Amino acid sequence: MKVALKIWRSNAETGERALREYEVEAPEWVTLLDVLDVIKDRHDGTLAFRKSCRMMICGSCGMRMDGAAVLACKTRMYDMVQAGHVPVISAMGNLPILKDLVVDMDPFWAKFKAVNPYLKTGYEEPPPGREFRISQKRMNAIQKEALCINCGACVSECNAMESDPDFLGPQALAKAMRFVGDPRDAGRVDRLEDLNGKNGIWQCTRCYFCNERCPKGVDPRDAIAKLGAESVKEGIDRDMGAKHAKWFVTSAKTTGWLRETELVPHTQGIVETIKQTRFALALARRGKVPPPFPPHVAKDVKEARLLYDLVQEQGRAGYEGIVQGEAALAKLAHGYREGERDPYGEGSFPRPYIAGEEATAS
Amino acid sequence: MEGAHDVLVIGAGCAGMRAAIEAFDAGANVALLSKIHPTRSHSGAAEGGINAALGNASEDNPELHSYDTVKGADYLGDQDAIEILCTEGPGDVYELENWGAVFSRTDDGRIAQRPFGAAGAPRTAYAADITGHVLIQVLYEQVVKRNIPVYEEYFAWKLVEDGGRCVGVLAWNLLTGGLEAIPAKTTILATGGAGRLYVGTTNAYACTGDGMTMALRVGVPLKDMEMMQFHPTTLAPTGVLITEGCRGEGAFLLNKDGERFLKRYAPNAMELASRDVISRAEQTEIDEGRGIDGNVMLDLRHLGAAKIIERLHGTRELSMVFAGIDPIYDPIPVRPGAHYHMGGVHTDALGRTTLDGLYAAGEVACISVHGANRLGGNALLETITFGRRAGADASDVAFRTPEAQIPDSAVRDAEAELRELLDRKDGERPWKIRDELAETMHANFGVFRREDQMIEQGKIVEGLRERYERVIVEDKGDVFNNDLTQALELGFLLELAECMVVAGIARKESRGAHARPYDFPDRDDANFLKHTMVSWNGAGPKLGWRPVTITKWQPAARSY
Repeated sequence: MKVALKIWRSNAETGERALREYEVEAPEWVTLLDVLDVIKDRHDGTLAFRKSCRMMICGSCGMRMDGAAVLACKTRMYDMVQAGHVPVISAMGNLPILKDLVVDMDPFWAKFKAVNPYLKTGYEEPPPGREFRISQKRMNAIQKEALCINCGACVSECNAMESDPDFLGPQALAKAMRFVGDPRDAGRVDRLEDLNGKNGIWQCTRCYFCNERCPKGVDPRDAIAKLGAESVKEGIDRDMGAKHAKWFVTSAKTTGWLRETELVPHTQGIVETIKQTRFALALARRGKVPPPFPPHVAKDVKEARLLYDLVQEQGRAGYEGIVQGEAALAKLAHGYREGERDPYGEGSFPRPYIAGEEATAS
Repeated sequence: MEGAHDVLVIGAGCAGMRAAIEAFDAGANVALLSKIHPTRSHSGAAEGGINAALGNASEDNPELHSYDTVKGADYLGDQDAIEILCTEGPGDVYELENWGAVFSRTDDGRIAQRPFGAAGAPRTAYAADITGHVLIQVLYEQVVKRNIPVYEEYFAWKLVEDGGRCVGVLAWNLLTGGLEAIPAKTTILATGGAGRLYVGTTNAYACTGDGMTMALRVGVPLKDMEMMQFHPTTLAPTGVLITEGCRGEGAFLLNKDGERFLKRYAPNAMELASRDVISRAEQTEIDEGRGIDGNVMLDLRHLGAAKIIERLHGTRELSMVFAGIDPIYDPIPVRPGAHYHMGGVHTDALGRTTLDGLYAAGEVACISVHGANRLGGNALLETITFGRRAGADASDVAFRTPEAQIPDSAVRDAEAELRELLDRKDGERPWKIRDELAETMHANFGVFRREDQMIEQGKIVEGLRERYERVIVEDKGDVFNNDLTQALELGFLLELAECMVVAGIARKESRGAHARPYDFPDRDDANFLKHTMVSWNGAGPKLGWRPVTITKWQPAARSY
């Protein structure tokens, strides 16, 4: 089939930048990476992009297709070609472009290293010459975070990093959660203290682009939420973000709804609140904020309180309270739904047998 | 990173990083150098697991592991090295776990182990089906913890030999361009395999045999180069790996009728026979018309969705993305594909090569622990155990070696050679040569080998090498010029192909991965219980032999 692509070519040496169009002949099974290879081989040897495993595990070929980060090796072209779509390929965002689709990954790795990404020993020693004894259930807490291949797709799409490049960002924070959630790690509280610092977890704007674009189902935003929950559980709540989150809970369990007027003093403190009095009055004049007194109590406040008690009772105050979204779970199981189809039903591949014996599988 | 290093490790996969960690902990000034970032290394694509006689899933011991390895190797492995591997293996795996590797767990919280091919016990420790990924992460974490410097995206091109020693490497800086001389008292090659010699391979684009050819070019012999393992379950069309862990968890291999054909080839072990046996069985089924479009079928359906999603989620993802098949419902079409080079740079059990100051560890090396056929799960173990041992000895030796210096003449000569290549304007671009090499190696030096085809392949490679003399590099720039490095990689591959063919023709028997059913269908211990040794003699390969070390296990008939 004929595959057409537009590629943002760029050269850091000369400062040139241009959108070039290519059309190549390629087999129907090709991925975006295969097409780039054909272009480099047969049309333009100067096209630069990273590649290695071509099986979604090395993380080399992160780039943007139509403005959203993808792994080139994971992106099959057939449907796009059939639809007549000509995608625009460009380098990842939030990282300096070196040449064409190759970005400078140094800022990425600097963030990675900033979270001390290694097991801190000393909390508990394994039996001499043996492994730590940990249940699979405990390890499941970091299963998704451990899938990360450092491709940079999440960083590319991170809105908070775009506005503040110093923000640690989704990849580093997912890596941090991989250790905070590891029962073998001795640095849990220290890590949480660090992650509550200036460029830490509360900088995240919860846009969920990282979850959306991660090609491995790591769901970095969920990891950040887990870190937030763990922080509050440990009483590390000096950041406005933590105070904000805590007030939501307090407000919900006392009156059953969010008392926004009190949110500002509880989150930002009295001084900030006084500074914002004029703004608040202006809002009130236009009917944007209800009067704080007397507090309005929701009709079903009992349910909210019961819910709160239940969470406390189950010990789900920390990361365990972060319920994975349905979309995230579906992504991990690749949309599997039980009982969808009988693997041995009509039209299926025949049941296995051993010559001269009865069928071997049910 | 100014000045000379005690130890320089080229390649930053599992073997390279493990070697660097050991050298650092011994107090050496060590650096890693790699053409791709460490976590991008192809060790990360290992799926099924790492073998060690931990005994977590049943009774097991290093002696049993050794025996399985010796037999799996079709008795071509050196048994002293195999015993080291299997005895030191458990400690190495526990260390990885203590460093934080995210292994899957048994019900009582130990490292989980699964059955693997040709293993007498469930011995393969695993992290679902992403074991290599988990190990590469934990090793990189340990490298970061120690702040070991890494020359990232540096393409090692030439080892420098001076006064009978290896004194470092000349490497092309991919990010900024330019050739740099990096001196070191000892140099460890950990550059992995050369699967890119074949069109259908599980290997990454990076697996171009760089270290093997670099060693060959400074006079170091390569051992058992004819021994290229074909993995039985690779995905059409490009050869993406489907883990042996599928069969470890109970998957069936079926021909087009649904027959578990292995009953006719390996009646006892069935799907868990050794890789060479299964690849040959599959190829026979396909050749005799019982395949489907050149494939047989790997059936996971009876394992059920829960087990597949928990333990084989990576496999399911690969099948869905690359073949459009959900293994919960449909069998996966698979066929043999080039996977692992048992052969490589000849070393002893400390990783030493025949050149002072030069070491090799991991797939680039041939100690030999895999002989004529590697067992699944033994490669990751080899990277760790022998990476560690090479790192230890290389730092010991470096401590008593004077500062290394790279002669200016070496740099000048190399620069002139590169300049000539970059300045060349008329000629052929490398891709066609690369593709022809990979296609013909597959056709003429694959699962089954015929003398006439191997001879023919020798001529083809010779012709391709002549054409290679006139290749041109289209990109003349400095920044990320991988048009240049890919041309240099092809040079590495071509020399290796020639070595393989020479060794393959000389081994007039069938042993492990080297199958000659048409002229020498049987193993011939009387004449060929020995390693091929190929060195480079001016313009071409020169063949020699070396005896196999036998400690406890005399060669015996091998069936599964």
